[in-house]
Amino acid sequence: MDRTHGIIRHIRSLTPDDRKLKIMNVCGSHEHTIAFSGMRSLMPENLEIIPGPGCPVCVCPESDIIHAIDLSNRDDVILVTYGDMLRVPSVKGSIRAQGKNYKMVSSPFEAISIAHSNPDKKIVFFSIGFETTTAPTAAILETGVPDNFFVLSSHRLTPAIMEVLVKDADIGIDGFIAPGHVSAIVGADAWNVFSEKYGIPTVVAGFQADNLMLGIAEILGQLKSGKITTGNVYAGVVRPEGNLQAQKIMDKFFEVSDVNWRAIGHIPGSGLELRDEYSGRDAKKAFDLEEVKESKIPGCICGTIILGKAYPSACRLFRKACTPKTPKGPCMVSMEGACNIWFKSNLSRQDDITGAVS
Amino acid sequence: MCLAVPMKIVKKDGFSASAEADGVFMEVNLRLLDDARIGDYVLVHAGFAIEKVDEHEAEETLKMMEEIAGLNEKNEVR
Ligand code: SF4
Repeated sequence: MDRTHGIIRHIRSLTPDDRKLKIMNVCGSHEHTIAFSGMRSLMPENLEIIPGPGCPVCVCPESDIIHAIDLSNRDDVILVTYGDMLRVPSVKGSIRAQGKNYKMVSSPFEAISIAHSNPDKKIVFFSIGFETTTAPTAAILETGVPDNFFVLSSHRLTPAIMEVLVKDADIGIDGFIAPGHVSAIVGADAWNVFSEKYGIPTVVAGFQADNLMLGIAEILGQLKSGKITTGNVYAGVVRPEGNLQAQKIMDKFFEVSDVNWRAIGHIPGSGLELRDEYSGRDAKKAFDLEEVKESKIPGCICGTIILGKAYPSACRLFRKACTPKTPKGPCMVSMEGACNIWFKSNLSRQDDITGAVS
Repeated sequence: MCLAVPMKIVKKDGFSASAEADGVFMEVNLRLLDDARIGDYVLVHAGFAIEKVDEHEAEETLKMMEEIAGLNEKNEVR
């Protein structure tokens, strides 16, 4: 018997016969591995692996996208951001379709080079993402940025949204697979709140299918024994305390704020904005950006999917009006969005998770 | 967006380093991991080394995997 089959058999032996368990992943790259490995079809019937809020592009508020479009239409601005953000739909369209001066980067360093080579322009770096992506942005601020460089921060905190999920009785999560690279920054101990306060096993996993399944087995083992702790099957990379140097730099520049999540709503203490000392670099302040009320995308159930209450195939637009080439909602745009992943890996299932979608 | 790749540091000068994976070289910044040394494997995300790869720990995980995969076989025999 090879290793993969061995782990699957172990998972089967740990899954109860008499009740359904739901384990959620909160990382688009995890969902990617799960979907493309075909792992779900090998899991026992009573075990559901559901995708959660692991797609930063998906949860970035429409208000920030509209600001990015407006900024890119100013003659004195070049808007710079990660590739996926250019295609995310908003009521105004996408940055790519409606913006004028914008550039795509894969590292914040490129944004700095653009600022240096365009001294007569204001460079706004539309910086989005969870902790893994916040750290590099903080690092360039630490390195020192030119005066014509501004940050439009749309950073989000993973533990904050997970706490919303555990409190939602509709979802009923039995275990979390914690995101590997977010954990590299924040540390495995950052998830202790879930095991200690909520009694939900939370296990840090890496990105290989076998490693993810090992994490799932660990969650099931904990549920069976009743000994709930934070697990870590990605210890080759993730330390209990995380990357303290990165945490220190992030804390120097960013402070926790109350922010909106697209299609989900307002969550206190779930975002990051630049501290007052660095407000001169804050695009929201420098350009007087006022929050725009979010519109609803007709038919799109991204919010329900992100909260783990429905699978992408429960959306009536999935694979029909909404495809990666014609994304109607944000979850179809990025390769971390559940709808995009399910489309590309040909996944579908008829049932939905909690009956939240009719 | 949160994906990162393991690379080996081959050159280091202050916060600037050069790292290699599968014959591909890349400039990597060490601002988030300044104690990384030449020869270390690090995880690289958006041009930054974000964490060291601990080979010993990685092997332990592998062993755990083998054990779990094998453990069932033993149960079957019993
Ligand atoms: S398939 Fe498209 S429209 Fe439906 S939830 Fe996903 S992104 Fe939204």
